[in-house]
Amino acid sequence: MTPQHHKDRVIIIGGGIQGCAAAYFLAKRGQTVTLLEKDNIARRASGVNAGGVRRLGRDLAEIPLSLAAMDIWNHLSDEIGDAAMAFHPSFYVKVAIDEAGHIAGMARAEALQQAGFQHEVWLDETEIRKRIPCLARNISAQNMAGGEISGGLVVEGDGWAIPWRIVHGFADAAARNGATITEHCHVESLKRQNNVWQIHTNSGDFEADIVVNCAGAWAAALARQSGEPDLPLTAYAPMLAVTERRPQILNAVMGILGHTLSLKQLDTGQFVIGGGVRADADIHQNEAGLSIPELATSMYRAAQLFPDIAHAKIIRCWSGIEGYMPDNLPVIGRGNQDGLVHGFGFSAHGFQLGPAVGEALADLVMGQQPRNSLAAFSPQRFSA
Amino acid sequence: MNTALHYDLIIIGAGPAGMSAAIYASKNDMTVLVLDDQPAGGGQVYRHVMQNDAAEKKADFLGSDYWSGHKLADEFTRSSASLWPESRVWQITKEREVFFSQKGKAHRAQAGAILIATGAMERPMPITGWTLPGVMTIGAAQTMLKTSHSGVDGALFAGSGPLFYLTIWQYLNAGFDIKAVIDTAPGKMSLLHYFWALPALLQPSMLIKGLKWRSEIRRKTHYISGATAVSISGDSQAEALSFTDASGKQHRLEAEHIFLHQGVVPSINLTMATELEHRWCLRQLCWHPKTDIFGESSVQQIFVAGDGMGIGGAAAAISSGKIAAMRITAKARGTSSLNAVFQMVRQVQKMAIRPFLDYAFKPADEWLVPPDENAIICRCESLTKTDITKAITLGVSGPNQLKSFSRAGMGRCQGRMCGLTIQKMIADHNSQSEDKTGYYRLRPPIRPLTVGELAALADDTPTS
Ligand SMILES: Cc1cc2nc3c(=O)[nH]c(=O)nc-3n(C[C@H](O)[C@H](O)[C@H](O)COP(=O)(O)OP(=O)(O)OC[C@H]3O[C@@H](n4cnc5c(N)ncnc54)[C@H](O)[C@@H]3O)c2cc1C
Ligand SMILES: Cc1cc2nc3c(=O)[nH]c(=O)nc-3n(C[C@H](O)[C@H](O)[C@H](O)COP(=O)(O)OP(=O)(O)OC[C@H]3O[C@@H](n4cnc5c(N)ncnc54)[C@H](O)[C@@H]3O)c2cc1C
Repeated sequence: MTPQHHKDRVIIIGGGIQGCAAAYFLAKRGQTVTLLEKDNIARRASGVNAGGVRRLGRDLAEIPLSLAAMDIWNHLSDEIGDAAMAFHPSFYVKVAIDEAGHIAGMARAEALQQAGFQHEVWLDETEIRKRIPCLARNISAQNMAGGEISGGLVVEGDGWAIPWRIVHGFADAAARNGATITEHCHVESLKRQNNVWQIHTNSGDFEADIVVNCAGAWAAALARQSGEPDLPLTAYAPMLAVTERRPQILNAVMGILGHTLSLKQLDTGQFVIGGGVRADADIHQNEAGLSIPELATSMYRAAQLFPDIAHAKIIRCWSGIEGYMPDNLPVIGRGNQDGLVHGFGFSAHGFQLGPAVGEALADLVMGQQPRNSLAAFSPQRFSA
Repeated sequence: MNTALHYDLIIIGAGPAGMSAAIYASKNDMTVLVLDDQPAGGGQVYRHVMQNDAAEKKADFLGSDYWSGHKLADEFTRSSASLWPESRVWQITKEREVFFSQKGKAHRAQAGAILIATGAMERPMPITGWTLPGVMTIGAAQTMLKTSHSGVDGALFAGSGPLFYLTIWQYLNAGFDIKAVIDTAPGKMSLLHYFWALPALLQPSMLIKGLKWRSEIRRKTHYISGATAVSISGDSQAEALSFTDASGKQHRLEAEHIFLHQGVVPSINLTMATELEHRWCLRQLCWHPKTDIFGESSVQQIFVAGDGMGIGGAAAAISSGKIAAMRITAKARGTSSLNAVFQMVRQVQKMAIRPFLDYAFKPADEWLVPPDENAIICRCESLTKTDITKAITLGVSGPNQLKSFSRAGMGRCQGRMCGLTIQKMIADHNSQSEDKTGYYRLRPPIRPLTVGELAALADDTPTS
């Protein structure tokens, strides 16, 4: 498609999945685009996340975008070539191990049906066990809640990916289409003067007609500095652990309804365990905290589902800096000032959305109507 | 969560530094917890000394220095400090919480002050074939001698350093046959060596001991000095060791058991994972935690003592442990630290020989980075020098960035085996200092921790 107005000089701030995907879709559509990243591509949340490519459990408002993203994930090699091999589709399950989980799961399945979504369904215990034969027979807990697995929510085709490979895949594809990717370039200030953005960085100044703010946990500070109203973003550091290699027993990504767990087994045999537990993050020092004891509960749950995991040695724990919004929905849309587009605040579930967000941001930059409504993600939703 | 244990002082490591600190602090009415991953106190140097003493047949062949540790270990055992053996410390926080695993369970304990006395580890010697079965470190050979009085006949020993000569001497004493000793230290002393030998005269007994070991080794084994270009060959197991002697002649010796050594360096995994500040020591070619004169690190109330703060040997470790304990006790009581300063004067004397040893046994470049492009550098991920070089030329500024390009350092050893080599390769490639290149960002858990152990700290109330 040839754009009507050849808008050049688009600058994207942030080399995470959102920034790189946006750079790719803009470059593919013939835009002159430069991406500025203060560290390295995929160095932050986008490169160190759990790699969960998950539609399961998404907020109803987010589902259309998540489904659109899945369409791209399913044909990813068309966009980013070989790097797409870092995506491993299988299925995602959240099991119920207590009454509260069971009720919540059934209600969720019901609500989705009514909203007309078919991707996420409730399966009973027998069906779940058929798919995950190694699941523990008896998961009764000594001192903690939980009893029997009674069923679970399942999404076919969800899976996991090696996140930094995917992000680099988008960055490389963007570069192949003519985008300029600049690392170690820290945007220090942003001002609109005479309808042009003046961008001051630690390695020179830039001008742009349009700026796309994909600065992750740093995005609200950047927006405020540029003259936007305050956006209520808070930074935290979700944590993960990876174990040594073990015999393959789990072909799905798993969670437990109402409890903190996200569990998968990589093709190397290593388990990645986490799930919502987070430490403090400091965006000024670029520091992500790490408190391993907080991961204990996820470990307990993982070993409850698969007792063999209890013997696995944890070889590494880490965390990444992520920006959260109060309603856990991202900010995607035009800013108050002309020529400013925001895409940030993914609240620990933005990796899967990345490809669709990149496309939507490209639409916004080019003045086109995005495929899906972005109303729920409006930056203005907080200024009531 | 488990209700936390609380102590005035928690010491990690029951080697000479940790034991002497525990003795002093507990005598001065501090509540002390000592955590060590071994079954009993002793550390590297006095490993198994209490068990050997209790055994019917004592291991006399280990020498009088070894047995001198018995007194210390005995005093430590009798002190009021509690030792939790077989406890692997995997994380400590700046708020002085200590997390460790023992008998399949994780525990937490809170301390008024922490002393890290985790000692040293052997510097890896990444030559061609060093990962073949049958190749071990001198330390491993010595551990077998100390704990099970066992060894092998017909082994080759290649490397240099005080521990190298000591262990070979002990091996001979224990009655094992040695096929050959291939010494990689330069055959001749330089001017610098003579210069640093002067202060070393303050510790004449150490010098004499060293010379005695070396002369006995020369006499009793097939001994070759000034060896270079050492490599090991074999298909699925070490079969032979090749090297060039000082006159340039090449040799090939067959052996199934080969022991390597290139000195020791501080174990920094715990100090680094606690984010204490470190500096690169040019003389010892390794990282030292930055401390004040008492051993207090860049984080208040976290102290370091013994070889973990810089290689000083057993006597210096005993002394530095005591200095730290004196300071910690004085701070807790609000009294003067003058006694620690006096102790320091003795410490200086106990370190006098160090510069000489550091220069005499400074590993040459070829032992730090193998010249052979096919030599393995990262054992865990089986990465060769070529693999690492390829990743470095993509333009990395330090070891952390290299991780995402090559997976080096991401295996189970957490970079213990490849960290210093990779750091040097990057520093050399970028022509920048080691300080600037930096080390892997180490993160807890610094000791293996199983999912089940960590689960023992769990506390879950359903979220919905
Ligand atoms: C441990 C963890 C696990 C997670 N697991 C999952 C999961 O399983 N599934 C899922 O969907 N999501 C997951 N997430 C969330 C997901 O990683 C994020 O939502 C997503 O990566 C956000 O992408 P981003 O591009 O907005 O942010 P980032 O990746 O943070 O990118 C923003 C970039 O902007 C750069 N930047 C900031 N300020 C400036 C400036 N002034 N100048 C130049 N550059 C700047 C930063 O350096 C950074 O690289 C997880 C997150 C974490 C931390
Ligand atoms: C393999 C080896 C053998 C050596 N043998 C000798 C010798 O025979 N003679 C000699 O003079 N010098 C020897 N040395 C040198 C030795 O380091 C010092 O002389 C002396 O032992 C240093 O005392 P230290 O108290 O600082 O540490 P160490 O004696 O090393 O004691 C440290 C203790 O801390 C424990 N530890 C470390 N990390 C943890 C953790 N995370 N959790 C729980 N426990 C932990 C270790 O198991 C060890 O018991 C040896 C060094 C090495 C590496």
